[in-house]
Amino acid sequence: MALTQVSSNKCSDGYQKVFEHDSSELKCKMKFAIYLPPKAESSKCPVFYWLSGLTCTEQNFITKAGSQQAASEHGIIIVAPDTSPRGCNIEGEEESWDFGTGAGFYVNATQEPWKTNYRMYSYVTEELPRLINSNFPADPEKMSISGHSMGGHGALICALKNPGKYKAVSAFAPICNPIQCAWGQKAFSGYLGSDKSTWELYDATVLAESYSGPELDILIDQGRDDQFLSSSQLLPDNLIAACSKKKIPVVFRLQQGYDHSYFFIFSFINDHIKHHAKYLNA
Amino acid sequence: MEAYDARSLCVIAEELSEEDEADDEEAFVMVQDSHTHTPDAFCSHCRVLTHSGAAAHTRHTLLALGPAAQQIKEELSHSSGKLSQKIVEMENFASNLEEIFITVEENFGRQEQNLEQHYNEVLQTLSQSHETRAAALGEQKSRALERLYGELLCCGQTLDASKQLIERAQGVHRQRDQRAFLQAVMSIMKRVEQFSSKEVDLKLGMSLDFDVPTTDLSDVRQMMDSINVLPAPSAPVMNPQICNSATDTSLHVCWSLFSDDTVEFYELYWRLISDDCTMEPLQDVSQLKVKETHCTVSDLLPNAQYELWVTATNTTGISPASERAVYMTVPSPPVIRPRQCVSSLDAALIRWDSGNTNPVESYTLEFRESDTDCSNTATESVVAIPSCECLVQLQPWKHYIISVRAVNTGGPSDLSEPVDISTAGTCFHLLEDTAHPSLSLSADGLTMFYLDEDLPLSHMTFSDSTFARCVAVLGDLVPIRGQYYWEIEVDEDTEYRVGVAYEDTQRNSYLGGNKTSWCMRHIVTPSRHKYEFLHNGWTPDVRITVQPRLIGVFLDYGGGILSFWNAALRQHLHTFSCRFLHRVQPCFALDNPGALRLHTGLPAPPMI
Repeated sequence: MALTQVSSNKCSDGYQKVFEHDSSELKCKMKFAIYLPPKAESSKCPVFYWLSGLTCTEQNFITKAGSQQAASEHGIIIVAPDTSPRGCNIEGEEESWDFGTGAGFYVNATQEPWKTNYRMYSYVTEELPRLINSNFPADPEKMSISGHSMGGHGALICALKNPGKYKAVSAFAPICNPIQCAWGQKAFSGYLGSDKSTWELYDATVLAESYSGPELDILIDQGRDDQFLSSSQLLPDNLIAACSKKKIPVVFRLQQGYDHSYFFIFSFINDHIKHHAKYLNA
Repeated sequence: MEAYDARSLCVIAEELSEEDEADDEEAFVMVQDSHTHTPDAFCSHCRVLTHSGAAAHTRHTLLALGPAAQQIKEELSHSSGKLSQKIVEMENFASNLEEIFITVEENFGRQEQNLEQHYNEVLQTLSQSHETRAAALGEQKSRALERLYGELLCCGQTLDASKQLIERAQGVHRQRDQRAFLQAVMSIMKRVEQFSSKEVDLKLGMSLDFDVPTTDLSDVRQMMDSINVLPAPSAPVMNPQICNSATDTSLHVCWSLFSDDTVEFYELYWRLISDDCTMEPLQDVSQLKVKETHCTVSDLLPNAQYELWVTATNTTGISPASERAVYMTVPSPPVIRPRQCVSSLDAALIRWDSGNTNPVESYTLEFRESDTDCSNTATESVVAIPSCECLVQLQPWKHYIISVRAVNTGGPSDLSEPVDISTAGTCFHLLEDTAHPSLSLSADGLTMFYLDEDLPLSHMTFSDSTFARCVAVLGDLVPIRGQYYWEIEVDEDTEYRVGVAYEDTQRNSYLGGNKTSWCMRHIVTPSRHKYEFLHNGWTPDVRITVQPRLIGVFLDYGGGILSFWNAALRQHLHTFSCRFLHRVQPCFALDNPGALRLHTGLPAPPMI
């Protein structure tokens, strides 16, 4: 797979780059951002995968979250893919901001016209790591995953569906129980059809209730003044209840005064990278 | 040592030379023999060189030259050895003789000096006595002569007057003129008759006896007598106390003679010096008779001053008392308070009680590693510690045995009972004197219980350091602004507060409710478990899905960090970022009946 570098900027003693490639899963050109810390020049580094939320591209995180400093200090590579396939010319993909383009929901779609291109789950869990491991000084055994909102949902389900694959997991204002919220119901019915049992395969709360595998340590930050929290899109209480019941260790922090924006992510990204570093650098 | 004299030495010398001569003779004989038969054997009976067919030695044991030479060489070196030993003994005797020679010379010299001095004194006294008596005699003489002379003068005068009168009488008698004669004669006759009728005192006015005063030579006699008598000794000199010669109940006292006196025995006196001036000033004086110039006095009190003096006695009498010296017994050993000792990876703070009612000068702390071969590890000491605690730097990951001594002018005490310190991590105990009265602590000081019983208020004794509302207790840390880690074991339903607080945190308020304490709090509600991370009454909103049963607390002064962990899962729970202005102490509280158990001496897990 040929990678084309789109941009490169020195940042915090390392390099923030953007690459483009032909994705075999998504059947289109995809961009992703990758931050290479100074340590990567001399040795392999662990990889932190960041999944962005609705309407984002690979740019939002690398320009707004301020993650490069902590990544540089902890010697961690950060990979931030796009949130959906682009330029596939599928009918209806531009209609909503919460479905289609920029709203891949990190699932493998089973319904037409989405199922050919909308395979973000496989892209994130298989194609992208293979790509990263063969083109960059990445330690293939040390991967972790995180994300915001829809990306938070993506991070949680990737970790719960692949026990042992990710050494650490965390999320910012994740969509915890998509089958119970408006966003999830809209997306899943479009991508997966009407059989709700297929939806459960991509619901963090449901997956937590049946999780078995190596012990997880999940850190979740949620802004208290997040409009989507109050509009019941996020439903963290359901996830907490499920994890309490199944004794999955979670630390959930309700942060006073914070909203859903990247300012919130910026404020706590260091805590999350430190949380990941604890396991990636162990 | 055998009493050798010069004669026996000569004998030894003769023996040796005889052997030499004998050898020479043998050698001589040998030369002669060689003309006839070549000697190839040695007869051990006759002890001569011979040849192996010799008829003279048929029944005797013959040795080959080699073994024979070997044997005889051994005998020779044995004899030489004995002789060398005798030489050494003689040499020792000779040097001993030399010493005796010198000593005797000195002693005789001293005797000579004494004798000269004595006789000089006697002579002085005699000549003084002579002068006195001569003066007295001279005076007597001049008095007597004066009186006699006076009498003589008197006589002469009387004679002159009488003679004059006779001449006048004779002159008158020769007067032819009878009328003139009769005129003058009556007065002269009267006078002549007067004179001749006077009784002439022809007796001596004084006696002619010499007034011989008795010679009082008794003091001279006394002096002559005392020439052969030793003088009474002069006062000895008390030596100052030798370092490390005292124990806590005994003193080793030394003194020396002022001059070359002969002394039969000494009497040592001592008395306890009491600090309390209002008491009867004099304690009992004890005494002891001693032959040497040193003595060990026992059964004394520790850390006490004693006044000591000594007199010397010989046949003549007792010397005056020496100057009084003050000696001090060493203190009793201190008593370490193990519950009050704290340690970390690289330091320990040891606290102890003095062990003595009166103050001591300082303390010495001694420590050594106890891990491996004891003979290899040196003991290190920290000296001149002014108070009953000491912070000592140690190496990480080792076991130490630490003891303390008290020191005063008499020297150091014995070692206290030691305390074991392990530098594997942060070590401390719960401080009983800060505990709320409703708390009881286990015997090992690591578990606290809040029992489900209502203690009446009268049973609760509060003090300035105990918590009065929050049922809490404090721990302690080494006073270094470093990193510390400890764990607390709790039950699922224990409602607790654990964290740190400044040492002067308000005893009337709840942990976490003020600016001087930070803690993690667990509350059990009917629906769920609630966790708070309290400081100054405020907590962030945190939900935790798995109840921590073992809580790790990590404190980093330098980084300004206090973090809480589910130690069993290595799960981070919360971190306070705060600049600690003063020392903080670990704090623990129970909001409802239950128990907490402290785990110390653990290294901080790697994730921290």
